[in-house]
Amino acid sequence: MKHVSFLRASVALVFAGFALASPLSAQDDLMDFFDEPTGPQVVTSAFKAGRIINVQSPETSGKGEMNFIIAHRFGRISDGAYALWGLDNAQMRMGLDYGLTDRLQVGVARSSFGKTLEVNAKWRFLEQKSGGGSPVSLTGYSVLMRDGMRFPEDGIGRLGIHRISYVHQVVVARKFSPEFSLALIPSLVHRNLVDQPARANDVGTLGAGFRYKLNNRLSVNGEYHYLLPRPIPDDPELRNSLSLGLDIETGGHVFQLHITNSRGMFERSFLSETAGRWQDGDLYFGFNINRVFQVGSRR
Amino acid sequence: MRHLFFLALLVAGFDLTGGAQQFATREAHISFLSETPVEDIKAESQEASAILDVATGGLAFQVPILSFHFPKALMEEHFNENYMESAKFPKASFRGTVMGWDPDGDAQQEVVAKGKLDMHGVSVAREVTGTMTRTTSGWMIGATFSVPCTDHDIDIPKVVSENIAEVIDVTLTATLLPR
Repeated sequence: MKHVSFLRASVALVFAGFALASPLSAQDDLMDFFDEPTGPQVVTSAFKAGRIINVQSPETSGKGEMNFIIAHRFGRISDGAYALWGLDNAQMRMGLDYGLTDRLQVGVARSSFGKTLEVNAKWRFLEQKSGGGSPVSLTGYSVLMRDGMRFPEDGIGRLGIHRISYVHQVVVARKFSPEFSLALIPSLVHRNLVDQPARANDVGTLGAGFRYKLNNRLSVNGEYHYLLPRPIPDDPELRNSLSLGLDIETGGHVFQLHITNSRGMFERSFLSETAGRWQDGDLYFGFNINRVFQVGSRR
Repeated sequence: MRHLFFLALLVAGFDLTGGAQQFATREAHISFLSETPVEDIKAESQEASAILDVATGGLAFQVPILSFHFPKALMEEHFNENYMESAKFPKASFRGTVMGWDPDGDAQQEVVAKGKLDMHGVSVAREVTGTMTRTTSGWMIGATFSVPCTDHDIDIPKVVSENIAEVIDVTLTATLLPR
């Protein structure tokens, strides 16, 4: 009897074994296979271009990518019809950025404003990740600027080193949704020489920028930089920089149109030397054209 | 002796059913090509998943859109941001059944998989022709098929219509092993 019951149990178990993997549950099993969790995913494309408007976004050129940026900033809109609301009077900046890796970029640029030459480096050292990763990306940016104007003949002995200024900043960015991204950007400006005793060599700013996508090719952008209190009493001429703009993407180009109270298009100028007042119409119309070329290999 | 015999049968029973009915991989290869007179755009993913149930002929593929890599970083950005909208639709999949095949056949077989291709939030009924080959340890699956962008509401604006094909050629190869 004992043998018989063992046999029955065995047969039952064998059939149970078949039943467990029976076709009835096959479709569900197939779907289960895809549900297994994957690791955190990098969140990409918080902004369309390397700059929100004036200031750096977290985006860098991809590996082997050369980004050619031509930027124009016209004269004051308040100059009126005589100067065609500023359009007669353009400053420009030409820049080249190159991606050494997908997260590290180096660049050079020349601005007609102050005949300024710059070299810069940008490194996104932490990526925002969904599914348990970092909630923000962190990007460091450093730029060295050389003022190229002739020294005034006022008998003061200036040196080449006095032409140099630096800006260091960190872009803390988060893409909250496919449409909305926000960045906080603390910056430190250091000028080796300032042109007035009432100006501090070191200026700190706290900035914020956003983009909101209206559709896949169009976004509204804005940025604001608050001048932190300085050790030397405030220069009454200086203002916080406020800019509003539109990004328009067309295949290989990103066009950025904007209105801003900052004239210069390099960091020292718009962060620490903005003089225009929005309420007085001291506004400048400008645009950036970003054109990307793949010149090196991605691998 | 009888005990041993039934024990052996018991073990064999589990092994046969549990071990060799489903074949799967997480390293299937999918590439696609957009061919126009202006430029050819090619992208590849090595991170597709595939699973085959031999008993039912059930076959499913799934690929994360972000896993497609392009020769140019900008292409990849546009692909994810403008066309596939990968934040909203992170995966493309095919779920269907293999028709008219011999699960015990050794030679390469021409087969048709009938099912639904789900991409960019639009599911389209498709019949895809491909090949299946039994290997010593599993199955090799290969297929080439076309995907018209309009089928999946993928909008290609006029300004880039010379650079991007209206119909994309997709090629997939997968080596499936017992799950």
